[in-house]
Amino acid sequence: MKRALLILSGVLLAAQPAWAEIARIKRATGVTSIERGAGRLTPSPGFQLQPGDVLVTGKDGQLSLTFIDDTRFSVGPNSRIAVDQFDYNRTTQAGAFVTRVDRGSLAVVSGQIAKSKRDAMKVRTPTSLLGVRGTRFIVEVPK
Amino acid sequence: MIRRTIASLLLVSCLSACATGPTLTLLPSEEGKQGAVAVLEENGKPVDYVVTELNSSTNLSGRPKTRAINPDKLNARRLALLQALPPPPVRLRLYFQQGTTRLTPESQPGLDFLKKEVAERPGAEVQVTGHTDTVGKVEDNDVLSERRAEEVVKALADLGIEPALLTAVGRGEREPLEDKGDNYASPANRRVEVIVR
Repeated sequence: MKRALLILSGVLLAAQPAWAEIARIKRATGVTSIERGAGRLTPSPGFQLQPGDVLVTGKDGQLSLTFIDDTRFSVGPNSRIAVDQFDYNRTTQAGAFVTRVDRGSLAVVSGQIAKSKRDAMKVRTPTSLLGVRGTRFIVEVPK
Repeated sequence: MIRRTIASLLLVSCLSACATGPTLTLLPSEEGKQGAVAVLEENGKPVDYVVTELNSSTNLSGRPKTRAINPDKLNARRLALLQALPPPPVRLRLYFQQGTTRLTPESQPGLDFLKKEVAERPGAEVQVTGHTDTVGKVEDNDVLSERRAEEVVKALADLGIEPALLTAVGRGEREPLEDKGDNYASPANRRVEVIVR
């Protein structure tokens, strides 16, 4: 019985659209990569991001991207930024969005998710947790 | 006296340049609007601190403190970061003739506008959402709204936009712009809404 439940929950997990597109890369310059699970991919304009992806830039690296809720990111050099959670309902325009800035710099113009509910969009740094209330801002995490 | 001057000079230069921990820079929106960012946790402990001062910098380690910055004198790194933000998505409504998937003549030029926007945006994504007015059955309007969206997708593909960039959905009569009850013929509601990101 227990095994049957485990198998069932496995099926349910597999049924979630984990592959759904959440953002598209608009620009990638210098050394950049996207870490997805154990893999490492090279982004170019049109590259589709998935929840859990990690944006990594080298010394001269820069990435620009727009999410499906209209949130826009610009990632500076020497950065490591993870999209830990991105749930968005295109119909209700509500969702939850958690980004983690491990190092480097990130400029943000928030979109529909931040508008949908107080602190629906969060940004984590190594020392703090931020609640985004609809705005344009920069987070910098020096090494 | 001299020693004190040097000490205060050091302090001043440190305030402006010695931001060793994570920082938050809050700026007005591109339309100049107010925004805010709350600091919810600091070193694992909940805090209650909301940054509302635009053009300000806040340290994110230790007790948060906010100070004003001059938006005309952002350092090169921050300036480059802001300039690299993608352009804001554009939205356009296209209207249809009653009960059909034919665009109104006034909406026809909108297709060329969309083509131009897509061409100027590397890595573009185009979302097309169809709507109807409330004349007729709900189920029929679901079908009609989806056909309208598909018609626009086809027209855009015919103009040379790569089909892989285009998605179409229909919302039927559920989201009227003009809400006047059932069986109301509304040119404003017979539309597709296109977002180019």
